[in-house]
Amino acid sequence: MTLFDVIFAGNDAVYGLTEGAINDAIAKYGADKAVSFPGTAYSIPCYYAVTGTKITTLGEMKDALAVIKTLMGREQELNDALFSGVATALLAELIEVLKYVDNENPYEAPCAGHLPDPAIRELGVPLVTGDIPGVAVIIGGAPTAEEGAALVKEYQAQGILVTLVGEIINQCVEQNVKMGAAMRVIPLGMDITSVIHVVSVAVRAALIFGNVTPGDAAGLMKYTAERVPAFVNAFSPLNEVIVSAGAGAIALGFPVLTNEDTFAVPMNLIPNVPVEKMNAASLEARNIKIKISKIDIPVSFGSAFEGEIVRRGDMQVEFDGSRVDCVELVQMKEPGEVEDHKIEVIGPDIDEMPVGSKQQIAYVVEVAGKNMQADFEPVFERKFHSYMNCIEGLMHTGQRDMIRIRVSKEAFEAGFRAKHIGEVLYAQIKNEFGSVVDKCQVKIYTNGEECTKIRHEIANPMFIKRDERLASLTDEAVDVYYSCIMCQAFSPSHVCIVTPERLGLCGAVSWFDAKATHNLDPAGPCQVVTKEKLIDERIGEYEDVNEAVRKFSQGALEDVSLYSIMEKPMTSCGCFECICGIEPFSNGVCIANREYAGMTPLGMSFPDMASMTGGGVQTPGFMGHGKHFIASKKFMKAEGGVARIVWMPKDLKEQVAANLNKTAQDLYGIENFVDMIADETVTTDPEELVGWLTEKGHPALEMEPMM
Amino acid sequence: MEEFRLCTIEEMEAATDRLLETAAKVGADTYQSRLAHQNPHCGFGDKGTCCRICRMGPCRITPKEPRGICGCDAHGIVGRNFLRFTAGGAATHSDHGRNIVDTLYHAEPGGAYQVKDPEKLIRIAKEWGVETEGRDIYDLCKEVAYMGLEEYGKVFGTQRWLSRAPKHTQELWAKAGVEPRAIDKEISCSMHMTHMGNSSLAEALVRQSFRAGMSDGWGGSMAGTEFSDVLFGTPKPVDTTANLGVMKKENVNIVVHGHDPALSELICEYCEDPEMLELAKSVGAEGITVSGVCCTANEVAMRRGVPMVGNFLQQENVVLTGCCEAIVVDVQCIFPALGPLSKCFHTKFITTSPICRMPDSDFIEFSVEDAAENAKNIVKTAVLNFKNRKPELIHIPDLVTEATVGYSVEAIKKQLNVVTNSVVDPQDTLKPLVDCIKSGVVKGAVAMVGCNNPRVRPDTAHIGLMKKLIANGIVIVASGCSAQAAARAGLMDKKAKDLCNSGLKRVCELADIPPVLHMGSCVDISRMMILVSDLAKEAGCNISQLPVLGCAPEWMSEKAVSIGNYVVATGIETYLGVEPGVSGSSEVTDLLTNGVRDWFEAAYTVETDIDKLGDMMVEKIKEKRAALGI
Repeated sequence: MTLFDVIFAGNDAVYGLTEGAINDAIAKYGADKAVSFPGTAYSIPCYYAVTGTKITTLGEMKDALAVIKTLMGREQELNDALFSGVATALLAELIEVLKYVDNENPYEAPCAGHLPDPAIRELGVPLVTGDIPGVAVIIGGAPTAEEGAALVKEYQAQGILVTLVGEIINQCVEQNVKMGAAMRVIPLGMDITSVIHVVSVAVRAALIFGNVTPGDAAGLMKYTAERVPAFVNAFSPLNEVIVSAGAGAIALGFPVLTNEDTFAVPMNLIPNVPVEKMNAASLEARNIKIKISKIDIPVSFGSAFEGEIVRRGDMQVEFDGSRVDCVELVQMKEPGEVEDHKIEVIGPDIDEMPVGSKQQIAYVVEVAGKNMQADFEPVFERKFHSYMNCIEGLMHTGQRDMIRIRVSKEAFEAGFRAKHIGEVLYAQIKNEFGSVVDKCQVKIYTNGEECTKIRHEIANPMFIKRDERLASLTDEAVDVYYSCIMCQAFSPSHVCIVTPERLGLCGAVSWFDAKATHNLDPAGPCQVVTKEKLIDERIGEYEDVNEAVRKFSQGALEDVSLYSIMEKPMTSCGCFECICGIEPFSNGVCIANREYAGMTPLGMSFPDMASMTGGGVQTPGFMGHGKHFIASKKFMKAEGGVARIVWMPKDLKEQVAANLNKTAQDLYGIENFVDMIADETVTTDPEELVGWLTEKGHPALEMEPMM
Repeated sequence: MEEFRLCTIEEMEAATDRLLETAAKVGADTYQSRLAHQNPHCGFGDKGTCCRICRMGPCRITPKEPRGICGCDAHGIVGRNFLRFTAGGAATHSDHGRNIVDTLYHAEPGGAYQVKDPEKLIRIAKEWGVETEGRDIYDLCKEVAYMGLEEYGKVFGTQRWLSRAPKHTQELWAKAGVEPRAIDKEISCSMHMTHMGNSSLAEALVRQSFRAGMSDGWGGSMAGTEFSDVLFGTPKPVDTTANLGVMKKENVNIVVHGHDPALSELICEYCEDPEMLELAKSVGAEGITVSGVCCTANEVAMRRGVPMVGNFLQQENVVLTGCCEAIVVDVQCIFPALGPLSKCFHTKFITTSPICRMPDSDFIEFSVEDAAENAKNIVKTAVLNFKNRKPELIHIPDLVTEATVGYSVEAIKKQLNVVTNSVVDPQDTLKPLVDCIKSGVVKGAVAMVGCNNPRVRPDTAHIGLMKKLIANGIVIVASGCSAQAAARAGLMDKKAKDLCNSGLKRVCELADIPPVLHMGSCVDISRMMILVSDLAKEAGCNISQLPVLGCAPEWMSEKAVSIGNYVVATGIETYLGVEPGVSGSSEVTDLLTNGVRDWFEAAYTVETDIDKLGDMMVEKIKEKRAALGI
């Protein structure tokens, strides 16, 4: 028998039963006998909603049968199957209403039967707000009472409203599951026809809240499919009537999942689901995302802790990316590769690390989702800074492979361990990006070998790839820039303007990242900044950019230039990868990167320079920036560009050499420009520096004075 | 919301008529006028009963003269002609495949040709038992490509890809004796068998026709497809546009035409080159538009979203717009008429392959070594030609449709993941499609393939049949000029779901696909063989039991017969709207339409009444469903 034939047969069987029951009732009470459900203004609600006709007497029920018959097409067509399912549901409703003839309470506790209108109004608000994230309809008996009760409790714990039909009710009673509307577990009745009472809830919700006109069947089905997050779990064995009723559920947009081996209709009828996977499979099938209200960690979590500093003396352990291999990474995976909420710690835990020690860590968050895009990976990564800082007793700075995390002794003593990092990342990603992340798992590596491998073989090539994509795009080629205020927790008046050729100073928010952030969260930290009103092309100043900066810095900043370090330079928060500072003797600039621990010819170390540059204040002559900005053609373009660079740490020089040489070649025709830039192995003395530069014929010496 | 509507045949014909006015104005002839002069066609040739194989003849068989001079009867003559026809097609596809494998062999890092899908290369290498662990990808590429080339001339054994078919199918092939040996061997064997004084036994000739076809579909064509994917990337869904209106009056228009993506890929590359764009601006154009005709269009549309300007019988129309700066061709299905026609306009007709040399063309030979330079040169020639347009001849018909293309087998599986439940369902399989077919939400699938042929009102059969099939819940996979007909009509627009029955419509919505899936060019019918093999494995039945059919309603080329033969040999009932030129022999006709069913569990059905052909397919699908009890 084909699936459609099974549905048709079930529909025919219910039709026969209904016809017989109505005839019997008419014989007993007469055709004029009034029929109604108690406590509803919507007549016999499902029939009324689908047809627009109110039924008041047994005689009218007979007419209704003829109307229902018109839905029962018998072609091997999906529509005929679905409408036959709807017909089965309407017939079930007629059978149910007969139970109420001359009987106000045909159902005995715990079964509820028909639910009156006030109960629906009460459920309406939490359904609309998502407080009730879904409605489960469980039909039949689970293989064992334990499994059945466990499934019900699983839904209950997620706040899902559970309605029960048939044997599952006995199983729940046996297992002492707390039931009742307040517990969000409502046993409807033992007969399969009693399932109509939950359908009736969905249908009346459409009439009450959705303003659907009775008789507008298409509007009704659209409303239930889009607005009522219901689904069906039907336990084996299924019969024709259950399958037929299931077709009705599918017509309303409610997927049916079963543990029986039967026909499959992707996304609609999902067979062979083991009971222990019923919950997860159902949530995915109905696209229900459960908000994680409490993160399972032993310390507090909240934005109140975001700016908290963990001092050296107070720290239990430190993960320091500038000294050892650390990295944070988000990777998009196929749904089959990710087990939701799996958190693994690979390597020693925090309690196995010496107090006060510097350790390596690599945490990789693997996400999958039907709407996930690889472009979102760095966007999630950038949020880690904020997520981690919300943990009480934990401090996080930096990004990518330049992170530093301190765990306080207090947090450690409260029981904070490596896996809790995973719990936080998992919960926050799911909560904030639930629209694109269906599944998420976290791997936390703490052994040296793995960390080195992940940093150098997986993460860095990925970062390079992301950066290369950007390299082909120029500021002129795009219509808009983006603002970024992700760091305002630390630096309330700082605003980055992110352009294709000038990434955020943290080095981690590129124009693409900002764009993706904006797409994901249009009201979030990255906003579109137009660039239509040019003020000064030389320094890269726009009226619209200034307006944006004023707005997002709450008036702290008036105007900024994109391409100058001397005139209205862009501010810095404190997360900068590098700082460049003016070096007056050579008429150029020195750049130091965060990892560089030594002295610069400015007579300052990186921390000294950082103290002058951060905090969201404009300091002409000093500027924080990302590594990749160094090789940009827009790097202090107003002052003559990269030709001003006279000194950089050797390490940094090596990192940017290829790109910087190319830029210098393109801009000035200078070959191997990097060889003209001094580093700490040449000198950190300003006078020696000038001598060395003269020897090399460095172009900065010939340029116009910067001050 | 405006209701979705297809572009009608009448609208397309009106556009052609308008272009023919331009042709008349410049005194050019077109296929329409030449067709009129060729009608009626030679009856003996049409029936397959003219033998020109030796110079004692030509001999023509009539009821009064039933044997040729050597004594060969109609069955032998028709059988030989059919085999030679097939061998021509198999040779053509397979040589195209060889060129791709050869190009792959010469791929190098940073070169004009690179490995764009290393994962696929590794997959193939593993399938062929080549060590992949720790290998440099170009090192691996050389080894696999060399093995691929060896398939053409291997001394012993049969084609490697055969093992991709279900076991039952492989057994049928072995039993029927059609497992193809070296590709070149099957073709030369076919030529040998048909030489004067060799086979005249219809059954033997037909059997070899299928073997030669198999060497194409499960050999040369499959190599062409698989290694094109390795070189240029495995197609995935991409949006594009179709029909004559994709040409832009204000842009330099370069039209690529033919079959081999090795040329067109590089042309497309250089059309995006900033230097070329700058040059285009300097001659007064706003930009450069590349569009494609015939299967080259399918190749670049699938991989780059390059618009498809038209199929086989549109090739002259493209020049007639007066806006075609260059029509650049590689191999196969190129009208020699393009030479003289282009002379009536400013259009440069550029031939590039030593396989396809034509009078009145600029020949710029394209080889692996200087491909980049030549591609650039060609683009430059086209751009500089922009200013030579004749304004009075310019007219681009305002017909454009939207299409989503790029459904390789890999992409179909990926797309189907969208409708899986990742908690319980396997990923990257055809299970969702099998589920839909078993539950009756989708009734079956038809592979629509093949050319245009003026014997049929162009495109009406393709479009009409597809409309009928999707309205009956049958999903279409299409390739070649059939795919282009679908795209030009709008059937590859996702909105075309509205033309489906309720079940297929729902599937299109859930899986976010159009009801007609573009699977590529004519060599890519090999993709369909893999698809159907995987489908049978997933469903746990034989290919011949699946409610899946093949159909070539407007076919014309030798390649099409070769394709038809391997499709039937794979176990797929195949419906033709044009007779295969064998009606002169009852024996050959009976073998093709009936007898081979004993070998392959499938055969040909020929019906020139297209409406009837459609009804027969719908009925056949029902029959196959009933037999499976679904």
